[in-house]
Amino acid sequence: MERELSVVGKRLPRIDAPAKVTGEAKYTVDIKLPGMLFGKVLRSPYAHAMILKIDKSKAEKLPGVEAVITSEDIPVKLFNSGLTDLLVPEEIAKNDPRDQYVLSNKARFVGDAIAAVAARDRKVAEAALDLIEVEYKALPAVFDVVEAMKPGAPKIHDFANGNIARHISFPGAIGDIEKGFQEADVMIEETFNTTKQLHCPLEPSACIASFDSIGRLTVWSPTQLLYLARHKIADIFDIPEGKIRWITPFVGGSFGNALTLRAEPICIALARKTRKPVKLEYSSEEQFIATQSRQPFTIAVKMGVKNDGAITALQGKLTANSGAYYSLSGTTTNVCMAMFATLYRCPNVSVEADIVYTNIPISGGYRGYGNPQAMWALEQVVDVAARRVGMDPVEFRLKNYRRAGDPGWTASLPIESCALEECIKLGMDKIGWREKMGGTKEGVKRRGIGMAIQRHVSGTQPMQMTHSNIMIKMNVDGSADLMVSGCEMGQGMFGVLAQIAAEELGLQIGKIHVVNGDTDETMFDDGQHASRTTYVIGNAIIETARQVKQQLLERASKILATRVDDMYVRDGQIYVRGDLENKISVEDITRRATYNFEGQGRNIAGKCSYVPKGNPPPYSAVFAEVEVDINNGATKLLKIVFAHDIGRAINPTNVEGQLEGGVMHGIGYALTEEYMVNGNNGVVESDSFTNYKIPSTLDMPNVEVIIVEQPTPSGPFGAKSVGECGLNAVAPAIANAIYDATGARVRDLRITPEKILEELSANIL
Amino acid sequence: MITTLKSFQYFHPNTVEEAVQILNKYGDRAKVLAGGTDLIPSMKRQKIAPQYVVYINDISQLKHIDFGAEEGLRIGALVSHHSIASSSIIREKFQLLAKACNKVGTPHVRRMGTIGGNICMAGPSQDTIPALLVLEAQMKVVSLQGERIIPVDEFFTGPFQTAITGEEIVTEIQIPCPPSDSVADYQWVTKRTVVDETLVGVAALLGMDLDRGVCKGARIALGSVGPKPFRAREAEEIIKGEKLESKLIEAVAQAAAEETKPRSRADYRRREVGLLVKSTLEHLWSQLR
Amino acid sequence: MSKEIARFTINGRECELLIEPCTSLLEVLRDHLELTGTKSSCGVGECGSCTVLIDNKPQLSCLTLAITVQGKNIVTIEGLASGNNLHPIQQAFVDCGAVQCGFCTPGMILTAKALLDDNPNPSRDEVKEALSGNLCRCTGYVKIVDAVLAAAQIMKKGGA
Repeated sequence: MERELSVVGKRLPRIDAPAKVTGEAKYTVDIKLPGMLFGKVLRSPYAHAMILKIDKSKAEKLPGVEAVITSEDIPVKLFNSGLTDLLVPEEIAKNDPRDQYVLSNKARFVGDAIAAVAARDRKVAEAALDLIEVEYKALPAVFDVVEAMKPGAPKIHDFANGNIARHISFPGAIGDIEKGFQEADVMIEETFNTTKQLHCPLEPSACIASFDSIGRLTVWSPTQLLYLARHKIADIFDIPEGKIRWITPFVGGSFGNALTLRAEPICIALARKTRKPVKLEYSSEEQFIATQSRQPFTIAVKMGVKNDGAITALQGKLTANSGAYYSLSGTTTNVCMAMFATLYRCPNVSVEADIVYTNIPISGGYRGYGNPQAMWALEQVVDVAARRVGMDPVEFRLKNYRRAGDPGWTASLPIESCALEECIKLGMDKIGWREKMGGTKEGVKRRGIGMAIQRHVSGTQPMQMTHSNIMIKMNVDGSADLMVSGCEMGQGMFGVLAQIAAEELGLQIGKIHVVNGDTDETMFDDGQHASRTTYVIGNAIIETARQVKQQLLERASKILATRVDDMYVRDGQIYVRGDLENKISVEDITRRATYNFEGQGRNIAGKCSYVPKGNPPPYSAVFAEVEVDINNGATKLLKIVFAHDIGRAINPTNVEGQLEGGVMHGIGYALTEEYMVNGNNGVVESDSFTNYKIPSTLDMPNVEVIIVEQPTPSGPFGAKSVGECGLNAVAPAIANAIYDATGARVRDLRITPEKILEELSANIL
Repeated sequence: MITTLKSFQYFHPNTVEEAVQILNKYGDRAKVLAGGTDLIPSMKRQKIAPQYVVYINDISQLKHIDFGAEEGLRIGALVSHHSIASSSIIREKFQLLAKACNKVGTPHVRRMGTIGGNICMAGPSQDTIPALLVLEAQMKVVSLQGERIIPVDEFFTGPFQTAITGEEIVTEIQIPCPPSDSVADYQWVTKRTVVDETLVGVAALLGMDLDRGVCKGARIALGSVGPKPFRAREAEEIIKGEKLESKLIEAVAQAAAEETKPRSRADYRRREVGLLVKSTLEHLWSQLR
Repeated sequence: MSKEIARFTINGRECELLIEPCTSLLEVLRDHLELTGTKSSCGVGECGSCTVLIDNKPQLSCLTLAITVQGKNIVTIEGLASGNNLHPIQQAFVDCGAVQCGFCTPGMILTAKALLDDNPNPSRDEVKEALSGNLCRCTGYVKIVDAVLAAAQIMKKGGA
């Protein structure tokens, strides 16, 4: 019997919204401590250079400067700035190179951090940067992965021969790829390129660090992974972890940008040196050039297909541009390979990848991780394959996709649930697939439609260690404090988790107070990554709430003289089943429990550690309609229909918001966001919102989101994830629509008018 | 990029006379601040670091939009793009200028930025310039030595360069009435997004000889396809005294494209110039006939 | 460098400050007056996060020297609600799910207020046009535009 829900599934306003519409919400950049200094970072103007000498004496003499630090003032410990290597055992983690210092002693990209200052105000700090004299010896630099792998290319890290940081063979390879090619009736060979993409959170990276008189460090920072950030900082600076308190205030957008350390290590180094609180805020330009971005990949695909549409072989050869340091390149590449290899059924699969260093800014983790790159290639190849064997691309996908019961990412964890067929059916109807497929073939403005699908994750089980630890304590007014580690970065975690807690506790939403993001107040959680929050933390909350409810019911049972099993909690009242009159309020119970004069005093509370048992993948189907002007190659995006298999929408408004936002990132990835590095000197030209264009209101087409709810067995109230799904398959859906409209197949991002025209003229010849 | 501006001495004259006195004293060490939409970013990006900043936006003498059938349109240098784009007289009689001003920046930038400041930046892709070129505007420029009038095609001397000196300020843009029986338009494409730098801008004005049913003359100006926006004189010549039939329009478009010197995306910009000239002329011709 | 006095009205209160002329209005609001609801993002007029109302018009406080707003009337996001009652636009942003990370929200709301004061009955396209200088990286703008249109309806009924 389906339980009737009173809070979950409702379009409730976000609980953090009032603070955000009034300006009351505090972000890291809004926090000010007494006596706080301001930090600034000196960055390399060279893409590759030895640092011969740094003279900081003039800067140190500037009135108001309290410290100038270089690589000599900081721990000589190499680390990986990505944080999720902490979630795998050392024998696996050590495959990912540790290649960064807090401040570099050799410049490896334009923007590499070389020195830093702390001063009494921003202005003095900025002026001090000009007074630091660095003697560089410029080295030849390389920006392109193909060039970087050639013999004689400049060597960026001593240990990396041919600049190859790591070679990875996809562990889930199966069958015999050559045999699979031989069995095919049709072979498709295509190569795709993706570009870097910048997260562009509106709040630039920032950090405040303060040591107290007994050496305890407090850090305020917009990280997505506060416990992991604390763990890594403790290791880099050799500080006992209990002597670090890490607080994550509201985060002004992240999208994966804060899955790595950003301003934190330098800020902490400055605070340690000065013994005063230091705030380090990146300028917008630093945010663009010196934080991490999406990996560019070259993906060469070979697919064998039978005339009936069955895929016989799938091979991928990937080259990832890691940039100057390794960071999250390994996990991103692994995700890219896994998504590429396991979306469709195929008996013979092989994927290989090289991760290559170049002298461009570092590649990190970005919403979707490697999935958007994988889908850009795979979902176009599938479109090509379907057309080659004369099948509707939708039918081709429906024939081949991996579904419930099939192996997912790993054979050990079969796909728990899948509502892709429903997503496709509803999406097709909404976009008018059958009527519009094939486009208009006359006139200057050609219309077409295309689609793509994606499957993502609800966390990292079983690839990484993952668990969530929750405390709930009841207050005497019948309200509950929900103590959960994590960050509210716009994804709506506060509201969603409060809705889950309220539903399970039987309280109204207003009775839940979320205590969040402070290692002194909340227990371990691996953090906000891999779209895990709703599924993993949600389940952890349910388990904790049940403990609390049990205590409430046990006390109520004595008062109401009813068995625990015969009672339930709803809207803050404990009822006896079948007798609405026989009840007691939660407030009454909690007050009597705490202010208890019979020697039975107790603060009703619960805590649990939860390891996710599953990882139900959410699926989506994206449909795009475009109009392409064949005279100038300009693409007008008319409509996106996005159907998503959510399991259960804890808050449908929130689900729509996540998807609409994700779609916008996908549209930018496809059409407007172009990452440009000067090929001569390595200067990042995409250094501002003027030179790197994210969509504005006027670039957004009509976006229609369809939520498909088929509760998944292991999900909290049946929920799966949504966070990253919105953008994964948008770009290939648009590319497929452009092909449908014009016959132009664009294989390299960003889709420019020139590339469309080039394909069109090639077709005519 | 710095987040805090370097210190400077600040002046806030209330009249043009006061302003030019200050500029006369400090010359190139001073910078004129009006709307701030270009100057402040340039200072934060450390492209310039003026010792003196002369804030002129409180000079009420420079905020007029006047029109007379004889003297034409006079726009004070401190009129914002937004005010120009929403002025009823400009929308009626100088529609392409209103349209070009409405393309500049974002809505906020259009409210803050002034026409005078915009033309003094003299960027190759600035939208107001092609419109002013085909309207044959002239700039009134004032210094302590007096005033002078600079025709628009002499005003812009190169990328981000103008004919005015550090002691002068632009006080007024003077635009003669367009020839009778003429129509004009501005069309553009941007680099990537709707609110974005112009990749190619085309302003055109067509005058009609109604008796003979031919084009008396044409003015065509191209933006963002050379060191500065310019008149495509050879393309204009082809039109004189002719009917704008499709073959002729093709020839004009081709001639215009050949006059360009784009720095990047050259082939595409040239193609786009041809297409935009064609669509602009077709649109105008259809209005005239 | 010498300091000068800037006088203006901020959220209905007279304010007088001794500042260096190179100080932006954004710095004055955030650092001197601790009105941190106005957000600093790009710093060069590209993103709209720092939008405030100066004499009821949306302006970019990052590009405005505080010394130039002498005698003017400035409204920041902190000045919009009356007591505990949210302004209808604020309420609509809450109700429509138009808020995600919230960093663009103050600038969006103030820009929307200026729009609705000028044009109480805008079309969807007019709202998109008016907000085209306010970047948001979270929402895809759908619910922001919905919220402004919803607020317009409420304000027409006298909800303001």
